[in-house]
Order: sequence, then C-alpha cells, then structure tokens
Amino acid sequence: MLSRLVLRAAPAALRALPPPPLAVGVLHATRQLHTTQQSLAPLPPLPEKGGEVRHGLIPEEFFQFLYPKTGVTGPYMLGTGLLLYFLSKEIYVVNHETVAAACILSVIIYGVKRFGGDVAAFADKLNEEKMAKALAVKNEAINSLQAAIDEEKKEQWRVEGRTYLFDAKRNNVAMLLEANYRERLMMVYNEVKKRLDYQVAMQTLKRQKEQEHMIQWVEKNVVQSITPQQQKESVAKCIMDLKALSKGAHAAL
Amino acid sequence: MNLSFFDQFMSPSLLGIPLILISLLFPMLLFPSPNSRWISNRYLTLQLWFLHFTTKQLLTPLNKKGHKWALILTSLMIFLLTINLLGLLPYTFTPTTQLSMNMALAFPLWLATLLTGLRNQPTASLGHLLPEGTPTPLIPALILIETTSLLIRPLALGVRLTANLTAGHLLIQLISTATTALLPIMPAVSFLTITILLLLTILEVAVAMIQAYVFVLLLSLYLQENI
Repeated sequence: MLSRLVLRAAPAALRALPPPPLAVGVLHATRQLHTTQQSLAPLPPLPEKGGEVRHGLIPEEFFQFLYPKTGVTGPYMLGTGLLLYFLSKEIYVVNHETVAAACILSVIIYGVKRFGGDVAAFADKLNEEKMAKALAVKNEAINSLQAAIDEEKKEQWRVEGRTYLFDAKRNNVAMLLEANYRERLMMVYNEVKKRLDYQVAMQTLKRQKEQEHMIQWVEKNVVQSITPQQQKESVAKCIMDLKALSKGAHAAL
Repeated sequence: MNLSFFDQFMSPSLLGIPLILISLLFPMLLFPSPNSRWISNRYLTLQLWFLHFTTKQLLTPLNKKGHKWALILTSLMIFLLTINLLGLLPYTFTPTTQLSMNMALAFPLWLATLLTGLRNQPTASLGHLLPEGTPTPLIPALILIETTSLLIRPLALGVRLTANLTAGHLLIQLISTATTALLPIMPAVSFLTITILLLLTILEVAVAMIQAYVFVLLLSLYLQENI
C-alpha cells in the first residue's frame, strides 16, 4: 500500500526534480506511472445476462456483422453454402460417424431444451438461498436492534412516570405518618384524661367521705344531744299528731 | 476421411506430434476456477454445488483420516466423468478406452490403499481376507479366494472401465455403420436401427457417468477397508 502511495506521488516528484542528464534514465522520466487509482473493491458489477447467442452456438454479433452486407438471410446462406460445399467436395465424408453424431447431438439438444430451464432455475435458487441467508442475518440484526430501541423507548416512558410513582409513595408515607401521629395524640389524650379522671374521682370520693363523716358526726351529736326530757316531749307530740290525724281520717271517711 | 473401426481408439497425433496430452488436459478447460465474487454465475454455482455434492457423497462413509483422499477422489471422478462424456461426441478420442491409461489410474491408487492398510493397521487389513462367520473347514480355501479377489482388484477396476467404454463406443460405431449401409437398401430397417442407436446413445451417456462414479466409489470402498 505504501508502494502505491509512493508510485502516485512519483510523477509529481519526478517532474519537480531537475531534468536528469540525457545519458541516464530518459525512458524513466518520460514514462507515466500509474495515473489511476487501482483498487480491487468494489468489484465492477457482472453483466446480468450472458452474450446473446442464436441457435445456442453462434453469437449474435456474427449476424450483426454480416447484416449490413447480406441482410437477414446472409449468415444462413453462408452456413448452408459451407455445408453443401463440404459435402459435395467430400471435404466432409458422410460415414458412420455422421449417424452417430446426429444421434448424440439430438440427445444433447433434447436434454438442453427439456432440462435447461430447470437447471438454470436450480442454479438461481442456490444463489437466492445464499443471498437469503445473508439477508436473514441482516434482517435479524435489524429486527433485534429495533426491538431494543422499542424497549428503550418504553423504559424512557416509564422513567417519565417515575414522578407520579414517587408522589404516590410520598403521599402514602405522609398518610402513614399522619395516622401514626393522630394515634399517639389520641393515646396522650386518653392517658391525660385517665389521670384527670382519677383526680376527679379522688376528689369526689374525698368530698363524699367528708360529707358522710359530717352527717355521721352531726347525727351522732344530735343523738347525743337528745336528752330524755326532749325525748318524752317529742313522743307526746307525735301521739297528739297521730290523734289529730286519725280524727281527720275518720272525718274523711 | 474414411474411418475404420480402429480409428477412434488410436491415440491421436498430428504430423507425428502426439496429441494425447491435449486430449487429457482439455477437459480441465471446461471447469472455470472459482472467482472472488460472492454470488457467481450459474455455471460456476452449479459446478461448485456438484463438486460439494460429489465430495460429500464419496467421503461420508470414510473416517477422518480418509478425508485426506478427498482431493484425489473428487478430481479423479470429475476427470473420468468429463472424458467419458466428451468421448461420446463424434470424431473424439476417449483416453479412457485405452487400457494403459486405466491401469495407470487403477493400479497405483489401489496399491496406495493396500499399502496404507498394511502399514497402519496390518492385522485388520489381513483380517479382511477372512469374512466373518465362515465354517472352520472352509478357512484355507476362503483365504486363497479372498487373496485372489484382493489381487485382482486393480485389474478389475481398469478393465471394467476400459471394457465398458470400448464396448459402448464400438457398438455405436457398428450400429451407425449398419444404419448407413441399410439406408439405401431397406430404409425402414434403417429407421429401426436409428431408433436402437438413439436408445444406445442414451445408455452410453448413462454408462459414461456410472462407470466414472463406480471407479471412484470402489476406490473409496477399498480405502474404507484399509484406513
């Protein structure tokens, strides 16, 4: 490859040099080295079809060559004339090989006409299969890459929805915290209420006990203060009240 | 030219220069070598397919060591096939009708298989001389018979190919002579003879292909025994 670079640069370099003495290298200075880029790739494309052939043997160019002078029937006249010439002058002698030739040629022509299309289709199919295998690899690669692209897009879409997910989670957590806070608040309230109730109950109990005690003390004192004199007086009064009442009841009846 | 029946079997020469080399090497010109294109023309595709097919067929029964013989067996097959088929054209010389050439092909190749076997696995190679399950009294006779059959193999290979092709060509010559001779006398019988000739030609095409295949197949069989 480097040699190609050198060779490409050589004409310019050689022209830049001072002209060499005539005795030496006249031929070298005047001959052009590679002027075009020689590369093996890409190969020039093959022609699609082979050369046109008439009757399977004679190229079409021969007929075109003779057409200007002899027209359409020219080559056929030439062929017939040659054949008759060879036969009549016995340059070609008709012997047993002629018959054998006729047979083998008819077999060959029959074979070509009958199986030619199939063989060509088979060859084309072989080439098609080769191409299809390579194309399949290419398509497979393209499809897998396309699938990867679609997957990636989906992932990106998923990523966009990430904020909603986080919001929902955040709300969830906030709700849990709130609930937990409320619960504890409730617990505190209950505890405080319990303590206050206890105090209230204690006070109520105390007052009740005081009241009872006071009543008892008053009663005890009153009972103690009732002298026998007073007791007789009260009893007499009760009897009189009762009499009055009974009189009243009798009157009602 | 006035041909005798010997002319097609004579080694061709032009002004004293033997043309046998050209007639042996010409078939090579009919097979293009694969070019650097990935998708080539139909002819080359078919040729490559055929070569792969033949090689696979010949080498499937052989073990790994026998695959060294792939090139020679396949090229021999293509050589014989082309020479036989080209010999059916009129005025052509078929080198495989010469016993000298067929023996020159068969003998060294057979000897190569034999010596490979005797060198690498002498016991097994000699063991092929006695088929399995023979009754004991027959063993000496059978060994002699098998040795004879072994030694006659190259002769058989060569003579088989020569005889088939020579006989076929000779028959074609004779029947076409009969046709030519009968044509002015009894055209109807001549027509019948031409029909026979057509059938014979088709047979000869088949025989040409089969004989080439059989030659190479037998060689691969001998190789299978010995490798």
